[in-house]
Amino acid sequence: MTQGDGGGRPPALRTVGLGRRYGHVWGLRDCTLTVPDGAVVGLVGPNGAGKTTLLQMIIGLLQPTEGHLEVFGDTSPANSAEALARVGYVAQDHPLYHDFSVADMFHLGRAMNPSWDQAVATARMNALGIPLKRKVKTLSGGQQAQVSLAMALAKRAPLLALDEPVSSLDPIARLDFMREVMAAAADTGVTVVIASHVVSELERLCDWLIVLTGGRVQLAGPADDLLAAHRLLTVPRATREAELPGPAVHRADSDRHSTVLVRTGPARLAAQERPDWGVEPVGFEQLVLAYLQRPAGTSADDPAQAAARPEPTIKAVTR
Amino acid sequence: MIWVSWRQSRSQAIACLGVLVALAVYAILLGTSMRTAFSHDGLGGCLARSHGTSCPAAVQAFTNKFGSAVNIAFWSVLLIAPGLLGVLIGAPLIARELEYGTWRLAWSQTVPRTRWLAVKLALVTGGLIVLGAAMTAVITWYRAPMDRLTGHFLHNIYDFEGLVLTAYILCAFGFAVLAGLLVRRSIPAMIVAFVPWLAIRLVVEFLLRPNFQAPLTFQQSCTPGQCSGGVGLGFLPPVTGHIGDWVLSQPGGQLANTYLYQPADRFWTFQFIEAGLFVALTVAALGAAIWLLHRRPA
Repeated sequence: MTQGDGGGRPPALRTVGLGRRYGHVWGLRDCTLTVPDGAVVGLVGPNGAGKTTLLQMIIGLLQPTEGHLEVFGDTSPANSAEALARVGYVAQDHPLYHDFSVADMFHLGRAMNPSWDQAVATARMNALGIPLKRKVKTLSGGQQAQVSLAMALAKRAPLLALDEPVSSLDPIARLDFMREVMAAAADTGVTVVIASHVVSELERLCDWLIVLTGGRVQLAGPADDLLAAHRLLTVPRATREAELPGPAVHRADSDRHSTVLVRTGPARLAAQERPDWGVEPVGFEQLVLAYLQRPAGTSADDPAQAAARPEPTIKAVTR
Repeated sequence: MIWVSWRQSRSQAIACLGVLVALAVYAILLGTSMRTAFSHDGLGGCLARSHGTSCPAAVQAFTNKFGSAVNIAFWSVLLIAPGLLGVLIGAPLIARELEYGTWRLAWSQTVPRTRWLAVKLALVTGGLIVLGAAMTAVITWYRAPMDRLTGHFLHNIYDFEGLVLTAYILCAFGFAVLAGLLVRRSIPAMIVAFVPWLAIRLVVEFLLRPNFQAPLTFQQSCTPGQCSGGVGLGFLPPVTGHIGDWVLSQPGGQLANTYLYQPADRFWTFQFIEAGLFVALTVAALGAAIWLLHRRPA
């Protein structure tokens, strides 16, 4: 068991050089992360970035090709009962058996999970006014999502993994669903990983952020630290990379000025800042989008190198 | 897991029970009237005395009355019925989970997917064995009077008595489970499984079965060109004079009075060989399905 920082519990998630190859194509590579117990993690990336690959390895559905993975210190191989027991999973589109009643679904959960807590599941349905006798196919999409969530929570696993949980829901159902997730996280202290490309949804929820593109981790860390470590600078267009107080993540040039997202610390910024620069803090969505726009194949460790490459599409648009 | 398997197979089990009940009703109605006619015509005594040669009119009357109902209706429909039954139950077992995305639910509970499949296969296979045995028992019971005239070796009898009916169902089921995993959709998987099942079934029936054991020869004591008797259902008793012998070849040429045949007492040996063949195919298909599911990326 690996010790977590501070408390006695190991980190919720720790990966070292984790990778998964499908044939000749790497779905995810060089993924090294440590997520503390109790975090609410937003896992962001475009389609095909490796979100589902990472999530399925965490859940225990997919065996890594290389690297090390532990969930609360447990390193059981994929598809073992031990690996499957450690995560409650709400899959994309929250699949359920449509000819089952809600009670049947919970019966299945009880039959297939030794740690199942029936009271948790039924209490959630009562609170939401979903009758247990109703057939799943007669429920709305939002209600089906709630049944899936209830099943994942009643499994009483220390980690809750949600794959695009709200992408198929209407705005009201999205709010309801996410409110339930956050309430559960607050009540039980469960660690939550939410994979999504709806960045605006994650902003209010997540205190931890992982950005994936092209099978690589672009950015990972506590959301507040990441926001504090970036500044949005408005500088004269002639400003060279070397004059900036840190590596440029993203740069947009207009006629006379350039807007540059720079990874920098307060001390370094104070030392290099010039009077004609505009300096602003960066928003969550702005930060995520800047990293998502970086070309695939760059990794978290060399943003300077990444920013040095030309980005023709962005320049063409903002001329 | 047992409850889960039952809950997911419940409607299929009820449908199978319905098929069995319909078969039983048909069998009781026809079987009862056959029994009445059989004893009324005194066929039992005639068979015991002379293998049916002393009462050709009564034998003819009985086969005319019931032969078509027993043989044609059954063989043409029931030739494919075990295959249809097997693929209808086998194909959705994995394919339905892949089709509707519910595999992500089923295989992320605290039951490893190979155990999930093994428990399901054990229970459904058990159910199919019970179903096959019950169908065999019903058919064997109602056909009993006719079988006393014809024996058990003719195609339309052999295929539905003994062990092979159950083995045919299991084989189609095994093929369909594997096809469901590979094709990932229920309806195409049914077709993909049924075609090879039928091909193997026909090859075994018409090419392999006559030679499971080396046929015996029978010399008819008559001069070539004037011999009576022949091959097939129309000749009761067969040319060998012993009810239940399966006469394979028509005489011709120099050996005009020599017949190849399989004796009636090889029935169970042949049933074991053929059922063993189909059960081995079933085990291979289901083993492959478990292995492939274990190796499947996610």
